[in-house]
Amino acid sequence: MSVTSQSPSNAAYRDPFFAGIILLLWVLLALFVLYPLACLFGRAFVDGGTISLQPLLDVLNNPHHRRAFGNSLILALAVGVGGTLLGFLFAFTAVRGGLSRRVIGFIDTATLLPLISPPFTISVAILFSFGARGLITYDLLGIKGFAIYGFMSTAAAEMITYFPIAYLTLRPILASIDPNIENAAFSMGASRARVFRTMTLPLSMPGIANAFLLLFACSLADFATPLILAGNDFPVLPTEAFLQITGQFDLRGGALLSILLLVPAAVVFFLQRYWLQGRSFVTVTGKAGSRSSVEILTPAMRFTLFALCGAVSIVVIYFYALLLFSSLVVAFGANHTFTFKHYHVIFTEGLPAIRDTLIIAAIGMPLGGIYGVVVGYLVARKQFWGRQSLELASMINYALPGTIVGIAYLLAFNDKPMELTGTAAIIIACYIFRYSPTGIRATIALLHQVDKSLEEASESLGAKSFTTFRRITLPLIMPAFFTGLGVVFIRSMTAISATIFLISINWTLVTVRILENMTELSLGPAAAFSVLVVVIVYVVLFLIGQMLARFRALEGGRVESILGG
Amino acid sequence: MKLINRALKHVFAATTMTAALVVPMTSTYAAETLNVYSIWPENWARPMLQEFEKASGIKVNFLRFSSGEALARLIAEKGNPKVDVLFGGPVETFGAGVKEGIFEAYKPPSAAALPARFKHEGGMWTAIADDPLVFMTNKKFLADNKLQAPTSWNDLLNPAYTNMLQMADARTSGTAVTRIFSVLEVNGRNEDKAFDFLKKMRKSIQTYTKSGGGGTLPVGLGQAAGGIFFIVDALDTKAKGYDVEISFPKEGIGSAAEGIAMVKGSKNPEAAKKLIDWATSPAMQSLYAPNKINFVPAHPTVKTEASLAAILKDAKIIPIDDEYAGANRKRIIERWVQEVLNAK
Repeated sequence: MSVTSQSPSNAAYRDPFFAGIILLLWVLLALFVLYPLACLFGRAFVDGGTISLQPLLDVLNNPHHRRAFGNSLILALAVGVGGTLLGFLFAFTAVRGGLSRRVIGFIDTATLLPLISPPFTISVAILFSFGARGLITYDLLGIKGFAIYGFMSTAAAEMITYFPIAYLTLRPILASIDPNIENAAFSMGASRARVFRTMTLPLSMPGIANAFLLLFACSLADFATPLILAGNDFPVLPTEAFLQITGQFDLRGGALLSILLLVPAAVVFFLQRYWLQGRSFVTVTGKAGSRSSVEILTPAMRFTLFALCGAVSIVVIYFYALLLFSSLVVAFGANHTFTFKHYHVIFTEGLPAIRDTLIIAAIGMPLGGIYGVVVGYLVARKQFWGRQSLELASMINYALPGTIVGIAYLLAFNDKPMELTGTAAIIIACYIFRYSPTGIRATIALLHQVDKSLEEASESLGAKSFTTFRRITLPLIMPAFFTGLGVVFIRSMTAISATIFLISINWTLVTVRILENMTELSLGPAAAFSVLVVVIVYVVLFLIGQMLARFRALEGGRVESILGG
Repeated sequence: MKLINRALKHVFAATTMTAALVVPMTSTYAAETLNVYSIWPENWARPMLQEFEKASGIKVNFLRFSSGEALARLIAEKGNPKVDVLFGGPVETFGAGVKEGIFEAYKPPSAAALPARFKHEGGMWTAIADDPLVFMTNKKFLADNKLQAPTSWNDLLNPAYTNMLQMADARTSGTAVTRIFSVLEVNGRNEDKAFDFLKKMRKSIQTYTKSGGGGTLPVGLGQAAGGIFFIVDALDTKAKGYDVEISFPKEGIGSAAEGIAMVKGSKNPEAAKKLIDWATSPAMQSLYAPNKINFVPAHPTVKTEASLAAILKDAKIIPIDDEYAGANRKRIIERWVQEVLNAK
């Protein structure tokens, strides 16, 4: 990276504006990431005032836990690779497929669904469709006693759930690669495969690496999907940690198991950094020519890409049709009489949860979006002492399973002077520090592609660093900002694992009501709540997209979608 | 101009954040209030606690958690408890809570009338209901396989059930622990014999679910053929319209009490005691039947609702010996994980 060679190591601290921001970030990270983690470590390793590693050794010596550790790695690897491939396929098709706006709109809608659905929806839909009496396995194909539980179904469910994150990360990256470069190579006689292999793929590498990292971490931390689909022969660590705490009442064991999860998350993080180090991916240089419309894909290729994306989209839409159906019948599988009564229930009894969730999401969204862009910008653009640690610290809450983050927050913020339990603030803080890494990664990936000379030109013409950031960098990273903002909002509407420990008598959440309904066998209200969440998120994302389009039009720039394309 | 706008946005965000912090503080003003974690689902806890509000004039705020989550929260909040009472949930959870030192001893007047297995010796918890286990099978599955509903533990070893039963995982569910102790009791507490049976039954298991009622919907839908559940969950499945049959093994099956306890460090101890007095007395337990809550009342003077009593009439229910279960629970679960769960 050119940045490394040009900047003195502590340049950012000499600028009072950035020094202040960095300090503020460290205070926030110390408070909301490191301190809770320290409380958790204290609980795990300190026994009656003395530090002991014996509990950790006990965990490592247990073959069942070792197996779960291995399984977690295999699963995360599979989901990371598979989900990134799927995301790349969608992003590439959307950007290069030459599809009409309407078709892209359809694909966008389908890919958004898994991202914005409340927990368990995909797992339960898979269970209903492919289980022993599944609509597809039994009713359609006539397979008796199909064994659904295990690695394959868990990996498939997680891939479908998380690939939209890869899509969101990769699409702005691919969109910012000037097709002229590809076309130039093509017109000079390179084959299509060669152009793809030597230009498109390497240029999108920062995005691919980031997408893989995000998906790997998502899968590593996911407990809801394996809880429903993994069965008994495929234990994974987050589920084991959850069971250790909520089943065995063993907080220490659960904490230890999830501390183990930090190891692979950190390894992947450093591998990815090491790998991207010293490579240049600059494609936005300020010198780019006008866009050419020459196509790099043959019609047959475009059709294949479209068919693949279409097939996946249809599967996703089928899952959600199932959800909509179960929200509109008396009891799914038993009584298929049409009814609105589940919606009546959620808008009467469920109203406080809906209101609380919306307030919390509305506050968390802008804060999370700003936080993501600021951290991403500083990490990618500024040199300062502790930069790598800052980046790593910002990723910790994302990589840890939610149950652990929830318990850590509960331990850290239950007592004075930092008593936050029972407030909305603890839930908002949890969302911001847990779900902004998508925005951070998106900002970093985008900035890896933007030549620093743009900002240097601005600074050498006398602009202050804040002005440069606002006038030059900010418009460039807007897509990443909206990706981050969108993800924080979506997660605020859909997350459960951490927040189940943070809700209180004053503040409750829709997702908790969904889980509650599922355990009460009230599939109807659970489905109705889920449909409502999907609708709200769509409406809000659409409104943000509209505002962004207006903002863009005023500034005379390109119109970007909320998805950052 | 833009900068001002931006600054205004920050101010707005900061104000809403502060508002969010202040609102809950100002909203806890009422005269006498009581904060409760309920392990009973909302649709049972809400009517009961509303009746208590009417009877006592005390305002009750409650939040529902699964037993493990409620306990994990109470342990984490130990230094500064947020609630006064833990309401409902298997006695097992209360036993684990006693070990963690999260409860305050209180013996309600009704405790004297209860048999020993319905109360903690030191008064740390008291039972409010009893909940027997049952076999629940999908009727369509029975018809397809020309089977009768199982009436013996050994019926569950029938090859027709291979890979078709769902029941709870002993690491997470009190239902499962009660089930395993039932098998121990019917085998005269001969552990090797009991585990021999459990290992054989493993072949019939499709998956062990995390919660006690986790398998009821799959059985209702026919994804699984059957399982062993608490009677409340089984009757709820039936009430939802799923075509299931409830039966009992002739050798006998266990039952678990549901409890209530005061949280140590409660900020409203007098109100907490009033709720415990009320819940352990016939005042609350006579409301189970009108509210269609299929628990067996713990208080001896409250009659079991007629249709529930009819189902239980011929059932052989074995009370699980609390002392024996408490002393061996951990070891038995570990053995179950090693020999049964990880077998196959």
